[in-house]
Amino acid sequence: MDDNQISLGDEQEEIPDSFICCVCLDLLYKPIVLSCGHVSCFWCVHRSMSSLGQSQCPLCRHEYNHFPTICQMFYFLLLKKYPVAYKRRELQILEEEKRSGCFSPQLDAHGCRSQASQELHIQNNGTAGPKQTHGGDYEGIGNVTDGEKNSLLNTDRGSGDRISVADVICAACKQLSFHPVVLNCGHVYCESCIVKPDEQMHRCNVCQSSHPSGFPKVCLVLGHFLEEQFPKEYALRRDAVRLKQADSRHENPNACATKADTQRKKLSPWSDPVHIRFGCDSCGMFPIIGDRYNCLDCFEKKGFDLCSHCYNTNSKLPGRFNQQHTPEHRFKLVRKDSIRNQLKLVIGDIDDISLALIIASISSEGTISPDAQENAENRSAVHAPSTSSGDEQDESLTSD
Amino acid sequence: MTKPAAGSLAGMLTMTKPSAGSLASRSTWVSTTSVSSSGKRIQREMVELNLDPPPGCCAGPKGDNLYNWVATIIGPPGTPYQGGIYFLDITFPYDYPFQPPKVVFKTRIYHCNVDSAGNVSLEILKDSWSPALTITKVLQALQSIFTKPDPYNPLVPGIAHLYLQDEAKHAELAAEWTLRFAK
Repeated sequence: MDDNQISLGDEQEEIPDSFICCVCLDLLYKPIVLSCGHVSCFWCVHRSMSSLGQSQCPLCRHEYNHFPTICQMFYFLLLKKYPVAYKRRELQILEEEKRSGCFSPQLDAHGCRSQASQELHIQNNGTAGPKQTHGGDYEGIGNVTDGEKNSLLNTDRGSGDRISVADVICAACKQLSFHPVVLNCGHVYCESCIVKPDEQMHRCNVCQSSHPSGFPKVCLVLGHFLEEQFPKEYALRRDAVRLKQADSRHENPNACATKADTQRKKLSPWSDPVHIRFGCDSCGMFPIIGDRYNCLDCFEKKGFDLCSHCYNTNSKLPGRFNQQHTPEHRFKLVRKDSIRNQLKLVIGDIDDISLALIIASISSEGTISPDAQENAENRSAVHAPSTSSGDEQDESLTSD
Repeated sequence: MTKPAAGSLAGMLTMTKPSAGSLASRSTWVSTTSVSSSGKRIQREMVELNLDPPPGCCAGPKGDNLYNWVATIIGPPGTPYQGGIYFLDITFPYDYPFQPPKVVFKTRIYHCNVDSAGNVSLEILKDSWSPALTITKVLQALQSIFTKPDPYNPLVPGIAHLYLQDEAKHAELAAEWTLRFAK
């Protein structure tokens, strides 16, 4: 294994620098596109994320809160183009996953036909979760592609392993993605197919999940690859998009619906409770801000949690780490304090002045909210008695 | 308690985690980096560094242990450190590249950003670390503080003060130290 991974050159496939993950310095495996357009492997993104607050893109330090879903289109592109290197990566990662006991979502590569039929089956049933009988055969969240795309993919699958335009179409206009952008759910659109709503969240029209991180930037790696692969088609699309943009600004492309996400209020780690080290398995928010719902029936190492927004809406799909979650599972509400109030509990008994200083230095709002008492009660009701945890915190302070 | 405390704030906050709920502490999203993946990344960096080393630098593992490296930086021409050869110890944490490597100067140097124990104050080795940075980039950053010390974030305030007040005197002392310790 070690020999393999040093000598990339020994493989017949020449992998361009653009497909090398900046974190593990190896071929991108299960690529995730961040909203700044930079790409990394599934595990590389996950491990780069901060469990305490805002995470930053390793390349451009663009801040984000949500762990995006794997971009399936990108995954299948790489799989088709570099089958040997991809197999090597798959084995390597699987070995690591077995050791740690946490698994990344399985993307059904070869049986695309069966995947299509499975998805259609799900659509017909109208249920949210894939069937349990497929054990471990989960495709992550929101991969319900519409029938049209599937039929395109299927007809192409027969002609061999070459990449065709049908593999890289925009989810909205069904043509070759021009200036591709990838939403939090992993679906790919043309930049021009996404309408810019002001201060509202984009909603993917394939999986109906919202894209939380502002307007997504073009994924240049993917864009350049498409331009290289299909120069003629890409040029045609460029002309068409320019023409369309010049033509009319009124015309609303039937793209990403711009429905405002009114239920979702703006959450702040300073005033709302933060669940450090817990992530939402539906939208990917990490750490969860606000209420957290913990699944009582999922026994996997990662557990299964939802943020209050995802709990109250449709999404109760399998988790981000292949948890075998079903809609029948029961949930438990977990409340927690805001960082401000936690700090007060931690430092309060030591020194009032240093507390004020710390709070003033990390939060622009210098006052302690009056509901601290209430939250403290919540906290002790749900968690361990505050006295014992207080002692622990004192120790941690002195050791620091 | 699977994740080690990152900073003091992190430490305090992770300690507020419920000690009662064994379920809760078991099922977090935080994953530990396997030793094999950090080792692979370090191996890759080693190959890359050997193929295309930045001018005036070299680095490699000390012995069998991939996580302990020794690096040398040659004092850049046009600076008081010119001609000096500086040895550094680089220690990679097991969750590299998600935590920065530790860099310590083994050769004494008259520099406001390097203290007498060899510790370096460099932002990218602390809070500004990013997993996309490599040892090559760290070495380049270290070279850049040879040419341009940062007196506003000093480890040795006395040297920083002298650098700001009387650069010629500073250069003279630095050159003397170079001659004494780094040649």
